[in-house]
Amino acid sequence: MKSKRMAFFALMVGFMTLASVAFAHHGTANYDTSKTVTVKGAVSDFQFINPHVLIAMDGKDESGKLQKWQGELTSPNRLSRAGWTKSSVKPGDTLTISGYPAKSGSPEIWIQKVVLGSGEELSTGGGN
Amino acid sequence: MRSHIKGWILAGTAVLAFSSGLRAQMEQQAGAAKAPSASAPAPVHDLSGVWNMRATPAQRKFLGSTYTLEAPEMTPWAKAKYEAAKPSNGPRSNALKVTDDPVLRTCLPPGTPRIYLQPFPLQFVQTPKEVIILYEYDHTVRHVFTDGRPHPADITPTYMGHSIGKWDGDTLVVDTAGFNEKTWLDRDGHQHSDQLHVVERFLRVDRDNLQVDITMEDPKALVKPWITQLHFQLKPEWDIMELACTDNAAFEDFEK
Repeated sequence: MKSKRMAFFALMVGFMTLASVAFAHHGTANYDTSKTVTVKGAVSDFQFINPHVLIAMDGKDESGKLQKWQGELTSPNRLSRAGWTKSSVKPGDTLTISGYPAKSGSPEIWIQKVVLGSGEELSTGGGN
Repeated sequence: MRSHIKGWILAGTAVLAFSSGLRAQMEQQAGAAKAPSASAPAPVHDLSGVWNMRATPAQRKFLGSTYTLEAPEMTPWAKAKYEAAKPSNGPRSNALKVTDDPVLRTCLPPGTPRIYLQPFPLQFVQTPKEVIILYEYDHTVRHVFTDGRPHPADITPTYMGHSIGKWDGDTLVVDTAGFNEKTWLDRDGHQHSDQLHVVERFLRVDRDNLQVDITMEDPKALVKPWITQLHFQLKPEWDIMELACTDNAAFEDFEK
């Protein structure tokens, strides 16, 4: 547990050194809710963690450019109530996600819709 | 395998994730847009069960961070503190690096009634001595003593206050006093003093619907009582789950 946490810290510190600009982001103000972007690609990481569940993908948006996308959902508790588990999405899965893009233009998305490769749609409504 | 993407994605979204309670609340409200349906009659003097807040259409504009569309009338003391506060939610949203919201900065208990603005369900457990309210958010617990006792003569100030309750017809009336001044009234940064006095009137209108009328009085902070009404739906298929604020605090560490 401790070593995992230390690794987590190290990764984060590493990232901060490389891309501290990301930390200027904030809350809903970061996303442009007047626009929707759809990204299709392969899941590189899925973190079923508090406070919000995260999906990383190597994917293409409408422009066709392949990028590393990061997507954010709601809390694990809410998604659990909507039927998700920590295995609902796995690295390597093909996924199509839609949602609000970051205003900055960076490849980040506040996910509103998740469709698995099978065509099954997962609820992102938080279980209400 | 834990790819480097893990660090990248976590770091890149840390600020967003941690400060996006408003968003979660919006999701809650969007998903809870259904009007309450008529259900079986409410059991007598029994609030037991898991409940989730349901915003009315008018409340969706503001309930993610405060109680009413109109701001409360503040005393000069409270207004100065409010204007100095740097909330992370609501119309005066600040980045996590900047916010001094006590819940977000240091995981302090949210206080009463702010706990209802944390967008997670709650559970009532009733015993002959007390009604216990288990809030999912950060394992917050309130003990509402219903055995007839008064508030202590010299209440020790706490985050959630000291609560006593009694049934008034079908309504459980909960009187809470004895607050410290470490919490905010809401996520917008409205302030209270240690003179805060909260009355909650819990009325189970039918089996599946609970109405809570809340009155906040504070002669040092509020010119007149701040009144709101919240609505909850019974969620018989839900259990209260674990949600530790310290997870959020770990994110916050990375931001510094």
